[in-house]
Amino acid sequence: MPSRRVAVTSPQTRIAHARRRVHTAWRPPALDPDDVQRAMRVYAVQRRRALLPLVLLVSLLLGIPAVLAAWPALDDVRLLGIPVSWLAMGALPYPLMVGIAAWQLRRAERAESADETA
Amino acid sequence: MIAFLSVAPVVLVTLLIGLRGIAAMRTTSDFLVASRRVSPLLNSAAVSGEYLSAASFLGIAGLVVKDGMGALWYPVGFTAGYVAMLVLVAAPMRRSGALTVPDFAVARLASHTLRKLSAVVVLVIGGLYLVPQFRTAGLVLSAVSGSQYWVGVVIAAAAVSITLALGGMRAATYVQAFQFYLKMLLFIVPAAWLLIQVGPEVRHEAVHPVEFTHFAKDTPVDFQLDVTLELREPTTVIGRDGSRETLPPGELRATSGSTLVFAEGTAVPQARGGAAPGGPGWQRPLLDLRHAGYPLLGTWAILIATMLGTMGLPHVLVRFHTSPDGRAARRTAAITVGLLSIFYLFPGIYGTLAKVLVPQLYLAGTTDTAVVALPSQVESGGWGDVFTGLLTAGAFAAFLATSLGLLLVVSGAIAHDLLPGGLNRLRGTVFAAAAVVVMLALPSARIDAGVLVTWGFTVAASTFCPLLVLGIWWSKLTKAGALAGVTVGLLASAGAIAVTLFGGELTGWQAILVAQPAPWSVPLAFATMIGVSLFGRPPSWAAAAMLRLHLGEEQHARPGPGRDLGHLSWQARRSSAVRRITRRLGR
Repeated sequence: MPSRRVAVTSPQTRIAHARRRVHTAWRPPALDPDDVQRAMRVYAVQRRRALLPLVLLVSLLLGIPAVLAAWPALDDVRLLGIPVSWLAMGALPYPLMVGIAAWQLRRAERAESADETA
Repeated sequence: MIAFLSVAPVVLVTLLIGLRGIAAMRTTSDFLVASRRVSPLLNSAAVSGEYLSAASFLGIAGLVVKDGMGALWYPVGFTAGYVAMLVLVAAPMRRSGALTVPDFAVARLASHTLRKLSAVVVLVIGGLYLVPQFRTAGLVLSAVSGSQYWVGVVIAAAAVSITLALGGMRAATYVQAFQFYLKMLLFIVPAAWLLIQVGPEVRHEAVHPVEFTHFAKDTPVDFQLDVTLELREPTTVIGRDGSRETLPPGELRATSGSTLVFAEGTAVPQARGGAAPGGPGWQRPLLDLRHAGYPLLGTWAILIATMLGTMGLPHVLVRFHTSPDGRAARRTAAITVGLLSIFYLFPGIYGTLAKVLVPQLYLAGTTDTAVVALPSQVESGGWGDVFTGLLTAGAFAAFLATSLGLLLVVSGAIAHDLLPGGLNRLRGTVFAAAAVVVMLALPSARIDAGVLVTWGFTVAASTFCPLLVLGIWWSKLTKAGALAGVTVGLLASAGAIAVTLFGGELTGWQAILVAQPAPWSVPLAFATMIGVSLFGRPPSWAAAAMLRLHLGEEQHARPGPGRDLGHLSWQARRSSAVRRITRRLGR
């Protein structure tokens, strides 16, 4: 006869499972003091390194429309028949954003691994 | 027939891939985050696949026809959101270990009230984002196949909810990754074909737009909605039997389902307060929202909403949780920027070509169907039909992928955060949520996909964006501050949207700031969160809870030679030691 597998628990365990768990206030898991010091170093470096790409991104996004609004003449300048102002809106931002993303990815990862080897 | 042939394979493949995911589904974690085993490359394709919604595939080109070239700022903001995500949110958010955004509220601030509130915000954003997806699916299916609007909506809802209820996030990941490449192919190939096929005159006109004032040929306009047109000159329309009738100037009511054929050379009537495509304002590379006369402010409002909103979109954030660790989540964001940048070069091509070939769509208020209407203008029958089919399939894939992710987070918010239950309740909730969205989508055929989706971004930008950014980077954020900030942001953004939908007419810059409230609602939410937090005191463990988010997985202390944690004295490990160290943060 094929043996069926049955979960075996002590009666105490079953009673404990049946009882409603007491809800205490939830606390995030504690950090080791050693980890805290590393984390503070990484946090400080990452916060510093996050500023420049953010400034670049925001000035890029708010700057291009401002330039296009200030110089409507760009609508009449054409590159390969396409108005330069259309290119500045529809094509130019993308390579710039890819550049910022790749650059910041490297910086952020380096900040982490530098701390690990330190 | 075209519609059936093109949509059926997409739905079938979606279901098949979805079925693959079922085998490995056992727990809530499997359902919601595919048990966090998705590589950056696959995940970024899935993120992009999910993100490129019907609003991206069809909506942007449609808005170009309707509002002008400035509509190309929308995709710039959509992409910029991932750069901001990479810098500020991706890795720490993943390290929080939370399954959903409401979970993050618990992991960082230990607040169950905030968890419920965040779940409500997820429902609002999900609703604003899902309704236009379903609506566009309905419109496209009815435009291509001639079926009723509601049939398309119901088919769409059924396909999405079945895939999701069976396969969960694992299915959604494979489906979305597959659909990203499908969409890319189905968007780029027809664009190239159109550019080659239209001929030099159309190409020249595309970059030298002229105002759409007179019909260049006998033009049939299908009205899927009730529209009131204003005739400024006597207008000749051609009846079904070829008889010509001249209508006097005045108002013309076109009922849904009717078709008017305007004769060649007739003046174009005016439609609902909008300017005709191709006018001087149309060509400007700025977005003059609601024709308020403040194009720079309008453009900035859209860019702020879309960039900051992306950071707070719950269905995008949940995708980052499927990465194995924080580093992979960050890489996912970076690759996503690249993938989106390729895709978003093309809506402009469709938009400019549609302005030349199908400007009449703006009369019927259905510019969202411009992309699928293009191929038949270039070549009737033959290849024209093939490419119409391909684009319809792509649009349907766009809709499916986005709706999958959104429906997932909406059901997650209901069945995981508001009323916690098991896997079966999650599955049931999927169907219930889809039914509610269908009910909402039926009466909203009139509102542009791009507008509704941008409102979803605005709500996300005013609620989750401050919560995440401050939660990750500011240790003094308190429970009360977060609650107040999210509440204020939700009320401000949702209130402004309600005023726009149901309120009176506003003009000038007030109209822009009410229609797109992001420029003031986001700073307001940030200020409230910071202000209220400064009045209170963060709990003693708050700094440690924040720092934990910045600690790389590989950096957690491991017992190694020379440092055995087990032998550290109790004094050095107790929480007061942590507090002593983190006190430096406040200075």
